[in-house]
Amino acid sequence: MSANAHGPFEALKGLVRRQYFWGIVAIALLLLVNLAKDPGYLAVSVGSSGNLVGNVIDILRAAAPIILISVGMCLVVATRGIDLSVGSVMVVAGAVSMEFLKGAPDTVGSGLAAIGLVVVVSAALGAVNGMLVSVVGLQPFISTLVIMLAGRGLAKVITGGQNTTATNEMFRWTANGHVLGLPAVFLLALLLAVAMGLLVRRSALGLMLEALGMDAKAARLAGVNRRALLFTVYILSGVLAGFAGVFATASVMTVDVSRTGYQLELDAILAVVIGGTSLAGGKFNITGAVIGAILIATLDKTVVFLGVSSSATPAFKAVVIVALCLLQSERVRRAFRKRRSAVAVRPAEREKVAA
Amino acid sequence: MSESLPIVEMAGISISFPGVKALDEVGLRLFPGEVHTLMGENGAGKSTLIKALTGVYRIDEGEIRISGEPRLLGGTADAQHAGISTVYQEVNLCSNLTIGENVMLGHEVRGAAGINWRATHRAAGETLEKLGLGHLNPKQALATLPLAVQQLVAISRSMVAQCKVLILDEPTSSLDANEVEQLFTVIRSLRDQGVAILFVSHFLDQVYAISDRLTVLRNGRFEGEYRTHELDRAQLISKMIGKDVDALKSLDAKGARRVRSDAAPLYSAKGIGRKGAIEEIDIDLHRGEVVGLAGLLGSGRTELARLIYGADRPDTGEVTMNDEKAEITSPAKALARRIAFSSENRRDEGIIRDLSVRENLILAVQARRGWARPLPRREQDAIVEKYVSALGVRPADPERPIRLLSGGNQQKVLLGRWLATEPDILILDEPTRGIDIGAKAEIQEYVAGLADDGLSVLFISSEIEEVVRQSDRIVVLKDHRKIAELEGGQGVSAESIVNVIAEDGLGDPSADTAVREEVTT
Amino acid sequence: MSAKQRLAQVVGIATVGALSLGLTACSGDESGGDDLTTIGFVAVGPEGAWREANETNIQDTFTEEAGYELKYAPATNLDQKSQIDAFTSFVDEGVDVILLSATEATGWEDSLKRAQEAEIPVILLDRGIEPDDTDLYVTRIAPDNIEVSTAVADWAVSAFPDGANYFVLEGPAGVSVVNERNEGFDAVAGAQPSLVKVGAQTANWSTEEAKGVVETVLKSNGNDIQFIFAQNDEMGLGAVQAVQEAGLTPGVDVKIATIDGTKNALTALAAGELSFVAEYNPLFGETALDVVEKVLAGDEVESSIVVPSATFDSPEAAETALPDRKF
Repeated sequence: MSANAHGPFEALKGLVRRQYFWGIVAIALLLLVNLAKDPGYLAVSVGSSGNLVGNVIDILRAAAPIILISVGMCLVVATRGIDLSVGSVMVVAGAVSMEFLKGAPDTVGSGLAAIGLVVVVSAALGAVNGMLVSVVGLQPFISTLVIMLAGRGLAKVITGGQNTTATNEMFRWTANGHVLGLPAVFLLALLLAVAMGLLVRRSALGLMLEALGMDAKAARLAGVNRRALLFTVYILSGVLAGFAGVFATASVMTVDVSRTGYQLELDAILAVVIGGTSLAGGKFNITGAVIGAILIATLDKTVVFLGVSSSATPAFKAVVIVALCLLQSERVRRAFRKRRSAVAVRPAEREKVAA
Repeated sequence: MSESLPIVEMAGISISFPGVKALDEVGLRLFPGEVHTLMGENGAGKSTLIKALTGVYRIDEGEIRISGEPRLLGGTADAQHAGISTVYQEVNLCSNLTIGENVMLGHEVRGAAGINWRATHRAAGETLEKLGLGHLNPKQALATLPLAVQQLVAISRSMVAQCKVLILDEPTSSLDANEVEQLFTVIRSLRDQGVAILFVSHFLDQVYAISDRLTVLRNGRFEGEYRTHELDRAQLISKMIGKDVDALKSLDAKGARRVRSDAAPLYSAKGIGRKGAIEEIDIDLHRGEVVGLAGLLGSGRTELARLIYGADRPDTGEVTMNDEKAEITSPAKALARRIAFSSENRRDEGIIRDLSVRENLILAVQARRGWARPLPRREQDAIVEKYVSALGVRPADPERPIRLLSGGNQQKVLLGRWLATEPDILILDEPTRGIDIGAKAEIQEYVAGLADDGLSVLFISSEIEEVVRQSDRIVVLKDHRKIAELEGGQGVSAESIVNVIAEDGLGDPSADTAVREEVTT
Repeated sequence: MSAKQRLAQVVGIATVGALSLGLTACSGDESGGDDLTTIGFVAVGPEGAWREANETNIQDTFTEEAGYELKYAPATNLDQKSQIDAFTSFVDEGVDVILLSATEATGWEDSLKRAQEAEIPVILLDRGIEPDDTDLYVTRIAPDNIEVSTAVADWAVSAFPDGANYFVLEGPAGVSVVNERNEGFDAVAGAQPSLVKVGAQTANWSTEEAKGVVETVLKSNGNDIQFIFAQNDEMGLGAVQAVQEAGLTPGVDVKIATIDGTKNALTALAAGELSFVAEYNPLFGETALDVVEKVLAGDEVESSIVVPSATFDSPEAAETALPDRKF
């Protein structure tokens, strides 16, 4: 999807035009703020176990579950839908795996079996969403809201209302282990995100989703199979949320039925929007969603690092996000450009538009 | 008519898009109390010029004076403020609101407690009444109206905003003769009240019937401004296309009738129908044949086409294709059986605006393959290359978003999309509506060629003469049923079809026999 | 599809969803003899291990053998409206006593007045109401958050005679429990100049969030933290993991104290990962039974009754307590 980039300068210019460029800027700014508080913030050292240690590494680790649900959300949003159930699918995934591992031996086999079980269960929840949206014809908002509410209830049933704890080294490794010194959880999330990216862009799934999201009627008449696509996309979103749930619970080997994945659907939606995918559907950007997710993780970590008080945290986050959305808004940017062009000479301006 | 001062004067207008100069020093003058027609082929720059006047596009060079004052139009709001009101080429309304709400949008009657909906709807009703649309209930949802009537609603909406300049961009493309006459009555009354009207249409008869003055554009350049009575049709056409008039004559020369083989039909439907859309009907389609569907607006032409394509599910009847029973209940199934359908509603059911020309072209082929089997880029490029050049899509840039193309070129891309699926049966619903005479001729010629190559074409048009010219066999519809099937040939003409439609009611005492349809050319 | 059909679908689906939620919290006891004392229990429902232990204990105390019929009405998804509905129907039914654990502190005046008019005594369990009008209810039975958190602070003062840098993991901002636990702790720890508070953050009662918070806090303070006060067990357990990940030893480099006293926390205390656990005793069935009997007999009771809570300050203490832990 690169726009005829010749040389690093053009590539940079292309980047600036991307919507998620402002997400990158925001990440950089947040890191700078942290750096101002502690000049050693960005330092990454080799820890006692030979793994990389540092705040940036923590951010990457924290971003992993958000990356996964954001990528899934991104695909759903492309079809002009929304998946509010991702957080609840996470807690169900956590509940299923913890309950399973509680009674299973601490072997790699049972760890993998737990993950397999999660994939099946989360795909099933995704399929329910897909069915409600495509077959029953409910609005995505309502369908996934139902699963969002019922999912947390389901998790409570599975664990009997308890916060279940289990031990399994392999399962724990997914969130706490390292590969080449980097957190395995981030690499796994990135791997899944890249795999999704390849899946949608190398196959025609991306084009079909965009066509469906931009104009469902026209897409149907062009022979696009709406039902199968919606099933596919909600199942993908469900499975990705299932993996996110695995990562979130494996981190502490505890599922917290009332907190795991709580309100993460909102983070995912934000990440998608920051990444330049419109909630009105159509063109979507997985890279952008990943960057949005990293931004949200950075923001969460910054709040703690700066020691912003608990009561001020939501306001702090809101200010950052509103500022970012303003920067991305076409209207605000145009206002900026107008001010600049008032100073600049007219022909130069025209050249820029034509370029 | 006195040469009063122009209310709008555009001079030396240039607009460039990346890589294209859309307008090159074009001028336009609109006088109060005059109907001024903007003429030109697709891509001549008509739409761009209108968008410059309505503030949608910013002009790079030139000047727009309104009532003598230079104005910078930074957006549609500026234009509306200056008294310029527009009805766009494609109906541009909120289909989920009521008729009244659409008419009054932005001009709702306000009372002490916010909007007074009762008064708003009453005012809407009055406006509609003035337009002879008094039979419409302002509280009805817009979506329930046929496209043609929606267009009239769009026009009445612009009358609510008391405008000095009214721009009608292809207002007649979806209207039948009766509605056109209604519209013209209104245009004339507005003109007599001193409104300057800018009119765009491809129907020459209409242009000559309504306009006082013409401006001709060609390839983004100003060709000339003329008094309508000083320029005859042949001259006008040659100005538009920059060719001699004789070259056009060949367009109308009808090729020899294709001889239909006596082989079994490719497609045969027995008694297919759908409640509320079309009554049970039999229809056969053969290879190498163009079948036309003729009938008035609302006679069930589109409904029948959608049934054949599976866009709507038939309630009754059986379909056989190649002697075997076929279940065609969705577009995807139809495409799998090599049936393609180009909808009359190009904007909502045809193009996908934000996708590129290439993506629009390959969409149906790709959809039939399924998403898991992507069309390799090389094959995509081959398809694009083939149809962009065969159909003469301009500009020939496959990566350009299709929304930036003119209506005629969008239609060509859509035709390409369906042809790329290598259909056996191609259903074309109003393929030439709202596009200029040059593109129209190209598409007509191409369609005739397709049948020669062995395709079966089902051709639908509201212009009965076009149906007659194109078709080997004509199925005549009226009130959602088939009333006749005529073999094309010397005996069949637009007039004879109109007679069939008119006489059909005579035998039936309960039917309303007043058919006032005049055939448009 | 008509709008009506669509609406019907929405309602249908929503009902299914609501039912499936309701199922998680259904275990009412409808049968009962004629001479039993009827108790209506407007409860919170599934919320976590502590609440589970608390409500099970109440249900296990007011049994038919003891001469009671307990009607258990948990809130639907922690929703106050469902609690008010249950409360009202208990009043209409004319139960003998109502036990109330309110999900929200405010908005109870009207309901309590109705009960008063019907001469049904109301006993608050655990959660208080606001404004705290003691005329509207008989008594409130609860452990004292201030007392419990003071115990944590007292321990900290003795455990760090040379002083320490400490960090507080709080529950969600604005919740009364959080305020009370801060109040009790700060009263003692704040008066001790050698104890330096480096910060406080919410981790929303969650293990996972606490781990993330502590991970960052350790880095921003260069691991120079000797003591972490977690306002519940779950967060404390998250802190343990973060400390371990940072290459430090919990209990040695960083001591962690928690409130609640769940089985998981005591296990961690026995393993030396936690250093101090203050119980917030959920088992107040016996106390409640006493009070109910007194009230029915017409005796006076105090307007606030504190349930005694234990503290555990060593692995040995935890090991002794573990076999009998109910929660």
